[in-house]
Amino acid sequence: MQKKFLLNAIFLAVPLTFPPLALAAASAPTAQPGIAAGEHASHVEPAGAGAAAVKGGMGEGAGKPMAWTAFPTLKTRMSGEGRERRVVTIVPQGIVANSIDAYSNNLKDAKAHRQLVLDMAGARLDKPESGGFHWLAAREEQGDKVKVASTVYFFSDRGAQNPTALFMQPKHELQIIPQPYPREHSRYRANEDWKFLVHFNGKPLANQWVRLETQNGTKADWISDAQGVVTVSIPDDFKKVEQQKAAGAHDHGRRSADFVLAVEHIEGGKSYLTAFNGSYGADAFDQRSLAMGLGFTLLGMIGAAPLLRQRKKQAADTKSAATETAKNKDA
Amino acid sequence: MLKTIFPTLTRFRFTIQILMLFVTVYGGALLGTYTVDRISQALPSLACAFDKQTGDHCILIVNQHQFHHRIGEALAKAQEVTYKVFIPTLISVATFFALFFFLNKAFCGWVCPMGTVQEVVYRVGRKFGRPLHRFNQSNVGRVRPVKWLMLLVLVLGLPLLAGMGTVSNDLGDPYCQVCPSRLATTLLTADTEQIALRTSSGVTFFLGAAGNALFGFIIIAALAVRQPFCRICPLLSWNALFQRLSPMQLVKKQNDKCDKCSVCEKACPMDIHEIGREHGRKAFHEDCTMCGRCVEYCPDDDVIQIKFFGVKLFGSSREAYKKRVKLETPEGLPKNKVIWLTQAKENQHG
Repeated sequence: MQKKFLLNAIFLAVPLTFPPLALAAASAPTAQPGIAAGEHASHVEPAGAGAAAVKGGMGEGAGKPMAWTAFPTLKTRMSGEGRERRVVTIVPQGIVANSIDAYSNNLKDAKAHRQLVLDMAGARLDKPESGGFHWLAAREEQGDKVKVASTVYFFSDRGAQNPTALFMQPKHELQIIPQPYPREHSRYRANEDWKFLVHFNGKPLANQWVRLETQNGTKADWISDAQGVVTVSIPDDFKKVEQQKAAGAHDHGRRSADFVLAVEHIEGGKSYLTAFNGSYGADAFDQRSLAMGLGFTLLGMIGAAPLLRQRKKQAADTKSAATETAKNKDA
Repeated sequence: MLKTIFPTLTRFRFTIQILMLFVTVYGGALLGTYTVDRISQALPSLACAFDKQTGDHCILIVNQHQFHHRIGEALAKAQEVTYKVFIPTLISVATFFALFFFLNKAFCGWVCPMGTVQEVVYRVGRKFGRPLHRFNQSNVGRVRPVKWLMLLVLVLGLPLLAGMGTVSNDLGDPYCQVCPSRLATTLLTADTEQIALRTSSGVTFFLGAAGNALFGFIIIAALAVRQPFCRICPLLSWNALFQRLSPMQLVKKQNDKCDKCSVCEKACPMDIHEIGREHGRKAFHEDCTMCGRCVEYCPDDDVIQIKFFGVKLFGSSREAYKKRVKLETPEGLPKNKVIWLTQAKENQHG
């Protein structure tokens, strides 16, 4: 009877304590992310001819550049009515192209490679039956300069095929290939490291400067290793936005921002500039409190602790079982 | 040779459980980043989509998203709710059933990572001589409806209302916010993001706090109560909807000795007393996870069997029962290992 009462009391007490605690916490100021202010992304100053070449490539080419970057980008925007018609509008910026190349990750599909016509509003890509990952690219050639803008778009679909083969498929001379690209329900986020492969004519390009620029104002450079791989640390520069707001700057209020990775290479008298753009979110612990999470977990544990108390009768039962064990061993 | 490696059904099941734990928790790291998009996305077990390394995820997150973003929004816009709105849901259910057809409730007792975690914790509790709390026939009935409430309210109802705009959008996936598997599987990958409480809104904070407290409670309670969360898991009720449609069935024949025995009731981790008192369809209860312990601990030949298309896969046997009880009591108390704390107490008292 006493045990039943205690069990019932525990089962009732645990949920009953939540509402007042939750109301108290909700009225408290929002917890700050556990990242010290002043920790920003790397601002390594580029050194050497490679870096100078990257800087020299900035700002050239026709087409109105984005305000935050001079590198070419492809902006994607979902359109269409509801979720029945999934259409993406692709708008190239900082690049003059006649069409957009769309590569599907279903390489055997009839629509594995499509050239989308560009009009004033941009190019439209409709969701094919296979859905899944799509590599989008725009190319501009002027004299001895080749400029490519690329990005990845994902149509949610069951059983989407592994996009690795799609990404590794040669499409242009100079390529930046995500290794890997975030899967569904995942994305690039601040304070995370993501690898990218730099390829030229299908071969890894070692010791190549790669520049990162973000919509929040970060500029950083990395150099590819012997395998052509560069590990990019997505910067936590959303704080910069909050500090700008405090200083009276325009309030963007976004927890998502765009980034572009660019690399330039000169070979055979031709200059190749390739950019890969995407979006990234705030740090994983943004608007999260680990301390509170552990606190409530501990609260639940304390609530269950009385279940672990050994009663006299149960202790006797356990001892008799242990005695039986000892007898069995002696036998 | 198999019988040497796996002398008991429990040992065989535990091996499968550990293997499936690695697939569901670490599958993405072992089999490739995009594995989770390719297996089913409708697993009848609590594999968590929030686990960045998962190999697959459960159907409940898919249900919530579809009720929130498709069905609920369609109703809110007063659009004609045609079959097209339900097609993604039907595809998910069909995918789920394609898996469920073969294993039935064994997805609970053999595959679910949360079930495995609870069983491991329970074994630790036995080793340290913690008491065992069971639900008797009078109070087990109070717990059983909770899993249906969880399914109807958290998995289906609130997401539908969120999609219709009646409640906050933060209630689009309320079950995921309270599910202990989200915390257990992410902590197993050393990811502390999910155990950190979201503070962006009161609703998300409240749900997260409830989820964290429930997780803490379940982890400790599992030391003294068998499968504490499984009893209220909405996936148990979801699976129960389909359990009669699978060719894999738990079958119990009528036996006059059952009234005087009841060992299977003691062995059952879900406290299904019907297994001892009933036979036929009633013995295969909605709470059954097909762990097979009742089969192992039935002392009569072929009274309880697990059958697939009428063919016996496992059946009770007297010989197997005799070997089993030498190793472990029906309640899970090991007999051939020292109970550490009790021995220490005995030494103190001389």
